[in-house]
Amino acid sequence: MTSKRYCGIARPRQNWVTTIAQGATVLVTLSFCCLSPAMAETHGYVISWFATATYNLNPQESCPNNRNGGRTEEYTRELRAIGYSEQQASAIMATQGGVLDPKYQRRYYMRGRVNGKPVSIYNYPESVPDPNIQTVTGKYAYGFDLGGNPSSKFEDPDTHEKIDNQLWRAVGCSHSFDTVPPAQPYFEDLTWALMVDTAPGWSMQISGDDLSKDGKVTVTLDLLTQHLKRDAAGNVLAGATYVIDPRLRSHSVLEGQINNGILTITKPGNIYLEGEMPFYSEIALRDTHMRVSIKPSGTLAGYWGGYLDWSRFVYMYTARADINGEDVVGLYWALKKMADSDPDPNSGQNRYISATWRMEALPAYLANSDGKIVAVPVNVPDNVNAAAAAAANK
Amino acid sequence: MALAVTAVASAAAPSTAGPSSVRISPSQYRQSIADIFGRSIAITGRFEPETRTQGLLAIGAARVSVTDSGLERYDELARGIATQVVDAEHRATLVPCSPHSAQGSDDECARTFLTSVGRLLYRRPLTEEEVQDEVRAAGETANKAHDFYAGLSAVLADMLISPNFLYRYEFVEPDPAHAGQVRLDAYSKASALSFFLWNTTPDKILLDAAQSGQLQTTQGLRRQVDRLVSSPRVEQGVRAFFSDMLGFSDFETLSKDPSFFPRYTLPVKDQSQEQTLRTIVDELVTRHGDYRDLFTTPHTFLTTSLAALYRVPLADTTDNGQPDHWFPYSYPPGDLRAGILSEASFTALYSPSGRTSPTGRGKALRETILCEAVPPPPGNVDFKFIEDTSNPEFKTARQRLTAHRSQPMCAGCHKLTDPIGLALENFDSSGGYRTTENGVPIDATGELNGHQFVGSQGLAKAVHDDPATTSCVATKAFAFETGYLPAVSDPQWRQIMDKFAASHYNFLELMRQIALSDLTYRVPSSALSAANH
Amino acid sequence: MKKLWTRRRVLRGMLQGGAVSVGLPILDCLLNTNGTAFAATGSGLPVRFATWFWALGLGEAEWRPKTAGADYELPVQLAPLKPFQKKMNLFSGGQVFLDGQSNNTHFTGVQGQMTGKVSSTEGYFGSFDTVIADVIDNGTRFHSIEATCSGDPKATWSARAGSGLQPAEVSPLALYTRIFGPEFRDPNAAVFTPDPQVMIRKSVLSVVEDERQSLMKKLGASDRAKLDNYFTALRALEQKLAIQLQKPEPLPACTKPLQPEADKQQTVMMCVDAMQRHDVMVGLLAHALACGQTRVVNMALTVGMSGLRREGDPTNHHTYTHEEPIDAALGYQVKCAWFTQRYMEALHNFAAILDGIHEGDQTLLDHMLVYCFTDHGAPRLHSVRNYPVITLGGAGGKMKTGLHIPKPGDAVTRVGLTAQQIMGVPVSSWGTKSNQVSSPIYEVMV
Repeated sequence: MTSKRYCGIARPRQNWVTTIAQGATVLVTLSFCCLSPAMAETHGYVISWFATATYNLNPQESCPNNRNGGRTEEYTRELRAIGYSEQQASAIMATQGGVLDPKYQRRYYMRGRVNGKPVSIYNYPESVPDPNIQTVTGKYAYGFDLGGNPSSKFEDPDTHEKIDNQLWRAVGCSHSFDTVPPAQPYFEDLTWALMVDTAPGWSMQISGDDLSKDGKVTVTLDLLTQHLKRDAAGNVLAGATYVIDPRLRSHSVLEGQINNGILTITKPGNIYLEGEMPFYSEIALRDTHMRVSIKPSGTLAGYWGGYLDWSRFVYMYTARADINGEDVVGLYWALKKMADSDPDPNSGQNRYISATWRMEALPAYLANSDGKIVAVPVNVPDNVNAAAAAAANK
Repeated sequence: MALAVTAVASAAAPSTAGPSSVRISPSQYRQSIADIFGRSIAITGRFEPETRTQGLLAIGAARVSVTDSGLERYDELARGIATQVVDAEHRATLVPCSPHSAQGSDDECARTFLTSVGRLLYRRPLTEEEVQDEVRAAGETANKAHDFYAGLSAVLADMLISPNFLYRYEFVEPDPAHAGQVRLDAYSKASALSFFLWNTTPDKILLDAAQSGQLQTTQGLRRQVDRLVSSPRVEQGVRAFFSDMLGFSDFETLSKDPSFFPRYTLPVKDQSQEQTLRTIVDELVTRHGDYRDLFTTPHTFLTTSLAALYRVPLADTTDNGQPDHWFPYSYPPGDLRAGILSEASFTALYSPSGRTSPTGRGKALRETILCEAVPPPPGNVDFKFIEDTSNPEFKTARQRLTAHRSQPMCAGCHKLTDPIGLALENFDSSGGYRTTENGVPIDATGELNGHQFVGSQGLAKAVHDDPATTSCVATKAFAFETGYLPAVSDPQWRQIMDKFAASHYNFLELMRQIALSDLTYRVPSSALSAANH
Repeated sequence: MKKLWTRRRVLRGMLQGGAVSVGLPILDCLLNTNGTAFAATGSGLPVRFATWFWALGLGEAEWRPKTAGADYELPVQLAPLKPFQKKMNLFSGGQVFLDGQSNNTHFTGVQGQMTGKVSSTEGYFGSFDTVIADVIDNGTRFHSIEATCSGDPKATWSARAGSGLQPAEVSPLALYTRIFGPEFRDPNAAVFTPDPQVMIRKSVLSVVEDERQSLMKKLGASDRAKLDNYFTALRALEQKLAIQLQKPEPLPACTKPLQPEADKQQTVMMCVDAMQRHDVMVGLLAHALACGQTRVVNMALTVGMSGLRREGDPTNHHTYTHEEPIDAALGYQVKCAWFTQRYMEALHNFAAILDGIHEGDQTLLDHMLVYCFTDHGAPRLHSVRNYPVITLGGAGGKMKTGLHIPKPGDAVTRVGLTAQQIMGVPVSSWGTKSNQVSSPIYEVMV
């Protein structure tokens, strides 16, 4: 009865797990009696969309001349790095149908040298020189003012505040990040779908005295015990009941407020959500800020920003050891150079980088591991009427 | 052996004469194969569609023949099954003997196999002539193909498309107790009982009781009926009957627009039928409850997917895997949902894919639950009378139908259907809960046979209290057994109804009474003349 | 019994003979210069027949062309068929007489058109396409093939006299497999090898045959009729097997179509999806006709109460026929007309596929009669008057085309009688009571 896909983390055998393992059916008669008495109202959500917050409305302004190119250009550069001339490299690529033959791939993988011995450039990104990929020089990126270096600020296209988002500066000119929501960056797009279907989902609770009014709220993030369900249209199923993982590791509580339908954090703090490869094995932020719109339909959409450990972030790319529209070694060097927080006392190298995630969430019931409902959906989107009204208004 | 007559030889008494050949349903086919050969035999392929007559597929089954493409399909199914039964994996358990040589014929072993399987497939012992033909054909094929099992498989496939398997025949024999009269023969009775109570082919015990003549005695019949009714397998019969009565075969072609009804997923479509069948089995088989309570019971079973459709919380604290688990669930007092009419198996099944049809739901309730006929719309209705062309977009079904009913020629029938369906308007076309339609709050007032009420609960109570509810299920159960509706004035029928009422409408008791009653096995006197031909 | 054993012996002989390989060249010169006959045998190319059903008519009355005969102005409702105006006929004004029976909407009108009878108490039996199939079938693998586009196998109007409606294939892939799957024998294959498995199957079928007489003896009249139908189906199955054992005549027009993709869904709700499925299915049916697998195909787009919808709109076509007002300026229901246009585009595509298959210097369409019919005359009223009936193809030169034939108030069964006579059915009178007709529409007969 242990859940699959827990990434090697041993899952504690809770009593409730045991009960079910014995084959007992659990009578779950639920009512609204079980809400936390501390808060008058708690609305439940599940994170239905999550990705690096991209801003690509003006690529020429952000990344003039697109010097990084796409996959073909990246392969060509790798071929040049293992000794082919520009002409030879182009000739090889012309015969490859977009993906480089493994025989070449093996050679450039192993072109790194440590103590004279060949090593994988993905295991040892610093065993080869910094390829100096193009980074974002434009004006805009999504994010929050984290108090970082005034000379490296972006302007948030929504709030027009000066903000810190050096992660975007590092990755934003890579081809695979050239997307506009609802499209996610290529690699996140591929793996988020897998995450939704196979890995435990993430929940968000908003609690307050009266959520229909502006005021103070508490925001709680948790890991679920179950993966999310899909609806008939292939989207995440809204209005279902999900169970919160009782472990505290992925349990984060922040204080915030709602003002004019916008949720923000008043006391930024740490958040941690266990994820799964090949998406991200964790979403961990320090000094977390949020700006999340609560839509009339009941859904959430917005941004989470703060500082993250860039070496843990880039590990998700180096571990894949492949080219999918980003130069992984170049990404490593760019993140390292752009990192803007938490200097190592010995080397002086910054270990954290300012970053912003974009997220969406759908209303859901949330239960604790005893089956008690701890949060209810504010309003499951009524697609029937919405669609019918849309059709009638055509 | 049976005489050369059948029960429905004459058209003179069509109202009482039962048909004498009934095509077995796809579920009976599947269950029979599973019982005879085990569940590891995969049945792949489609069946010829069933025909619904007078509200039941079981009545249709007594009238249908087989079309060309239908037989093609039976042939495909048969070959698939026969190949598996004798394949290397199954032959050791399913073929009770080994041939002298696997490369040729062995009449003795073929005879052993075909005789025992044939008795179960044809639900009677094979005649010596049949056995000889089959053994000979198996032998010839085995020798030509140099494969003993190819011979068995070929003949088995043949038996599986034989009318003797695909049809359940009712044969008669002279009735020793009433000189000059006839009665159903014991094997026909055994099949009738088994398909009615277990939805499958008779087991060995029942066939033995037919062979020994026990089944033709009052006591022997009672012993067998009690054995079948008290077995857990009676659940199969109850499920088959209600699947038929509630029109679940129409789920095959039901779909909803995912852009309007995203929570109506494919698993939900299957689960909604299962929910209702579980509710029924729980109430009628497990609890021995009152049939009428099916319409008001707060007790049901849900999965988390169904719960999402119904917008109720249901925590599955088991694990992270598929498929969905079932949990007993009780609606809190006063909840809009209670009883099987509030479930998606009813509200979604009788709605078009885009929006609800209160008329369709009302008609379905009258016809399936109350056995009341709703006349078809008259020809050549001019719909221009009923339309306010200056305001063509009515927001709610009630507005649209109220306009429609203002036309006297429509009002007569629509007043039979719409006030029922309108009480269920809080359930959208997918069975999901809603409070508005196109932004306008829903008014769920309704009426059934003079009783006014509001919403699905009021409707449920009215159906619960309507005397037609219990008589309807009884006549349909009888027809499910016999292939025709009973004459409700018949004293024997009234006896069955009295016993059903006396048992507080215990459905298993109804099945038992039907299975025991002479009425069920009565052979009309008109068959006698045929018997004498 | 004796006879059956004889047949078994014949088969035994075949089995002992083993595989017979026959090499034959495929030559277009097998056809004479007109493409109307096999040059070698002089026999005419067979005329084939199709029915094609669409739901809910064309509109109120405004679709009726103003002039009769040739060169009439094609109404806007039929605009998609413009390229085939010279190869089609349009019949208007005909009706089904109810003779006091109630109009069971979406049923009675079709019952009248296809069976010649109107009856509210009896089922739907004996549609005239099966009568035609009985006459022209000539030992093809399939007596007829039925298909439909919205996923309901009961969407079919083809019914044998005894056995009732023949279920329609709902899946393009299943339809393909049934016709062109492993059991398909390419008539143009250079080498023909009879399948020993088929020989075995065919020989063993006689065991069921042998049960027939003993069972028949025990049955009453109604059960005997049902059993007769069963054995009709069994003979069709035997015939199918027998044909697989014969070297087929080469058919130059025959090519095996590509296998369609697996179905995403059984039931189709969106009109555009159903029309897409239609095009795939009629492509397969056309190839089945060209490859001699059958001579009769029946296509029904949907059931009469078409539940098809447009993307984003919860109201279906059938509901719109009831609820949509008639546009005062245009004289018809605009939203309903959208659906009708899609249906007529589908019919155009069917015609184009048939016309794209060349048989000699003519086309398959020229050698066909496609009878296209609907459930209601004026859809908004659900009436059984003023039916549009469209025929496509020249029936191998037996039918004049390019004509509009108005027959206001006449029995629409007359078109059915005409089709049967053109297809060679020896019938001089068809239908019952007021729907009985004894003379065909001579204007279209050659």
